Amino acid sequence: MSAALHAHPESGPVLGVAGPAKNRRVLSEAGHRGQWWRLVAILAITAIVLVPIMVTVVLAFTPGPTSTATGFTLENFGSVFSETLASTWLQNSLVTTLSTVVVSVAVAAPAGYVLSRGRSKAVSGYSLLLFVMQSLPIITSVVPLFILFAGMGLVDNLLGLTIIYVGSTMTVATWMMAAYFDSIPISLEEASWIDGCSVFGSFTKVVLRNSLPGILSTAIFAFLLAWNDYLVAIVFLRSTEIFTLPMGVQSFFQQNQTDWTSVMALAVIMMLPPVIVFAALNKYFSVGGIGGSLAGR
Amino acid sequence: MALTTAQTGLSRARRGVAPGGAGRPANRKSKLTAQTSRTFFWLLLPSVILLVLIHGYPLIEAGVQATHDGSLIEAGNFVGGENFATVLSSPAFWKAAQFTLLFTIVGVFGSWLVGLGLALLLRTKIPAGGTFKVLLLLPWVVPIVVSSTAWNWLVATPDSLIPSLFRNLGLGTPLFLADPSLAALTVMVFKVWVSFPFMMMMISAALASVDSTVYEAASMDGATRFQQFSQITLPLIARSTYISWILMTIFCVNDFPTIYLLTGGGPVDATTSLVVLAYRTVFQDFATGPGVAIAFLMTMTLVVVSVLLYRQIRKSSVE
Amino acid sequence: MSANSSSAFSRRGFLGFAAAAASAPLLAACGGGSASQGGGGGGNGVIKFWDMPWATPAYNDAAKKIVEGYSPASGNLKASYQTIQWNNFYQTFSSAIASKTGPAVSTGGGFQAFQFEKQGQIAYADKVIDELKKNGQFDDFLPGVLEPFKSDKGYVAVPWQLDMRVFWYRKSLFEQAGVDVPKDWASLLEAGKALKKVGAFGFATGSGAGNNIGNHSMIMMMVNNGGGVFTKDGELDVMNDRNVEAIEFLLELVSNGIVDPASVSYTTENLNAMWKNKKAAFGPYVLGVPERVGDTSGDIVVASPIAGPHGDKGGLVFPNNIMMYTNTPSQASSEAFLVSYMGQLKELWRQKLMNALPVFKSITEIPEFASDPNNVKIVKEWQPIAKTFASQGTVLNDNLAVLDGGQALNQFTQTVLTGKTDARSALQAFESGLKSVIKK
Repeated sequence: MSAALHAHPESGPVLGVAGPAKNRRVLSEAGHRGQWWRLVAILAITAIVLVPIMVTVVLAFTPGPTSTATGFTLENFGSVFSETLASTWLQNSLVTTLSTVVVSVAVAAPAGYVLSRGRSKAVSGYSLLLFVMQSLPIITSVVPLFILFAGMGLVDNLLGLTIIYVGSTMTVATWMMAAYFDSIPISLEEASWIDGCSVFGSFTKVVLRNSLPGILSTAIFAFLLAWNDYLVAIVFLRSTEIFTLPMGVQSFFQQNQTDWTSVMALAVIMMLPPVIVFAALNKYFSVGGIGGSLAGR
Repeated sequence: MALTTAQTGLSRARRGVAPGGAGRPANRKSKLTAQTSRTFFWLLLPSVILLVLIHGYPLIEAGVQATHDGSLIEAGNFVGGENFATVLSSPAFWKAAQFTLLFTIVGVFGSWLVGLGLALLLRTKIPAGGTFKVLLLLPWVVPIVVSSTAWNWLVATPDSLIPSLFRNLGLGTPLFLADPSLAALTVMVFKVWVSFPFMMMMISAALASVDSTVYEAASMDGATRFQQFSQITLPLIARSTYISWILMTIFCVNDFPTIYLLTGGGPVDATTSLVVLAYRTVFQDFATGPGVAIAFLMTMTLVVVSVLLYRQIRKSSVE
Repeated sequence: MSANSSSAFSRRGFLGFAAAAASAPLLAACGGGSASQGGGGGGNGVIKFWDMPWATPAYNDAAKKIVEGYSPASGNLKASYQTIQWNNFYQTFSSAIASKTGPAVSTGGGFQAFQFEKQGQIAYADKVIDELKKNGQFDDFLPGVLEPFKSDKGYVAVPWQLDMRVFWYRKSLFEQAGVDVPKDWASLLEAGKALKKVGAFGFATGSGAGNNIGNHSMIMMMVNNGGGVFTKDGELDVMNDRNVEAIEFLLELVSNGIVDPASVSYTTENLNAMWKNKKAAFGPYVLGVPERVGDTSGDIVVASPIAGPHGDKGGLVFPNNIMMYTNTPSQASSEAFLVSYMGQLKELWRQKLMNALPVFKSITEIPEFASDPNNVKIVKEWQPIAKTFASQGTVLNDNLAVLDGGQALNQFTQTVLTGKTDARSALQAFESGLKSVIKK
């Protein structure tokens, strides 16, 4: 595995880690030799993986059954936006999803920290409880939850949906955060305590600050769960104007007639926000390297 | 020493030393745990509230449904373990359990291997590496409703793309969804396709926190690449790996849309997992009690498996 | 604080921005965005009517217009319209009814009314039927459509459209194969063999994810042979000779390759493509196949009913119905609304929005409907001989929902379509599967 040899391209300068110069030259030469086959490998894998997605994208740009256009066309997107509530659905999805992401991380990060650092019976008991509780499939929870939320007036609105999404991502998000915090050496915190931080202070100022990749992974997980869900939405939402996008896509699957090109156009619209978000956040993913902070001390 | 006793306790705990370890006076021990646990309590509180509301309450409700003979609307009469007996004595349940096991094993390790390979590849300097990273996340991003349709187009009929490809290569015309064993395989491959980006992301995040100087030191000491991988990389991402295994196990066992939308559980039950069976029992056979009992049994098994894996996590440490 | 901030990226700034971005519209959405909270069936002084996406979105728009245009007589409540998705619809209805936030009047699954009646949630429609007798619509019903809903306690629901399963064929393929359109089972088999030579399938069906045409094919062939899974008295009767004969015949079609070997996994979309791409020459399907598959050249036509080996004929019908619920702000208002709605149904066929038969003779005679020869043929030849899922019985019940959507029939269908079975053992497994879920 020559892959394991190579350091992060960005991490060096950012973290101020400078290995001995001689060594780095050796490393990069080795890197160049192995680079072409790695590129070929990743190209091949990506191509294979993307075949089903290409099907979707191609269809989205194909003229529909009633269309007079030929070849490549954007009219499906036009008709989706003009004839359906796609823009409203998009907005609903964004609102619900972003709220879910923010609240999930805000709840899961502290809890994950406790799971990672705590060593008491109560803490390990709780982390097991997280498992036990979330192992029940959502399809069996939806009906009781609906009845509960109906009593609180939280059905058929986005707030109720958001609460459920936060609840269902939270268990996994907590574990993901805990897994990341586990990889952060406690020496960092110890150092900050010497500087006079409280437990809570060092968690927010030291641990979280060095946890961007972990937070982003968790955020992406929460984003996708909320973004793609339709099992909960289909029971909780009824009014067309507060549908989320997956519900919108579902409502295209009419009983007797399906216009695939429009469905796929909507699907492409649905894919775009996560892709944009990932593309924008991608460069922060590789910023980590706790060792750097230590070396800098 | 500016460290408070609470923090000392915390860091000792983190190193696997019990708080207030050897030779501490009892009163200091109690004070220290009290302080740390107060902070911990506040940090945990929001998650506890949500857990009770979103997971605890439905679990109790499910317990009621599993022990009654009612419907989704009315509770019905208490029947004790009758639903469980019915379920456990039905061959369909055991068949579904078998498939769930296979589906989960393939799903977890398949997606882990693919995710690990890609994470390691993407860690190196590749032109447009960031673009690849985003592109490879797509399978996870596309709504299952859409990707299952796309997969259906690729494999469903003898004239679909992939069967045609096989035919032109002189390998016959496989019916990927109509042949029971091929359908099972197709669903598993589909699941791996949907799940590997999650694994890739988890492993990438773990790798990102590994200090690169470790490798430089190791290669100076003359360690081979494989040794570096097995001696440094794997141990460093071990905890993260175990956790992602557990999570993926839960995802696979609880997975409903992937299977239901691609095959509906067919042909002839070949791809019916426990969740699909529970769903069909509750919402298509309208047998609420037995259906929820299936979900319950599944949950219990999952808990046992999780506990076993969890112990592994506790053992592995990244000090 | 001495730890280096290892990135130029400000976490707090990012989260703060995201929170602000998320919460502003969220508050706006929750302030006025929730449309239908509050009481069940109404409770806020309106009759809630829930409808399904029976056809294109244009259908729901038209139905909504009718409902919103309803102006009740003094003292009765107005009505509101809500589309409910087909996906997981039983879950949606159940959770709404259980939480008292359900509709007062609704369409829905074909046997849903009988299920909710069992659970004491349905208001009987006898007063509506009395009103229809007064205004003349009662005598306008096509023969036999009302009987299935008449229980000991009263009318469980009111039928409003008939979802039919009839045989369709593609003319050009029969010409190409040089055979006539089948008149009976024997000629269906022969035609199938000839069609196979030109690369087409003589019995097109499918039982993939979410496709119930395969299930319906099985029952349709049983009924076609004078069999079915229920006796006249509603007793379960799976193993009768007529059923065995029908399944043996289907297995013969499968083993001769007259049924596409991949049928077992065909979704409705796959089946539509089969008709569109001239792979399907003959087979059971719903109304309006030409529009559905996008080939209105007149090549896809309704066949006449075919005779079984004993001369029996038969098709399938699912009488879709409108039901009223006990949880309503005013039962009198529910009834008044339903009577009025039944009177407005003609509009839906006039705008050519429906792909089902109307329940009223007068609607079958309007030019917009009668101009399609396929429709006329179905009304004339298929509707009189069509049987419901109750087969030889005449009254519907909640067990039919279990039969229609349940696992027993689906497994049976897929077993037959894969062909790795004999008729008797498949039927036996089907019978024991049904017995375990059907409530006496």
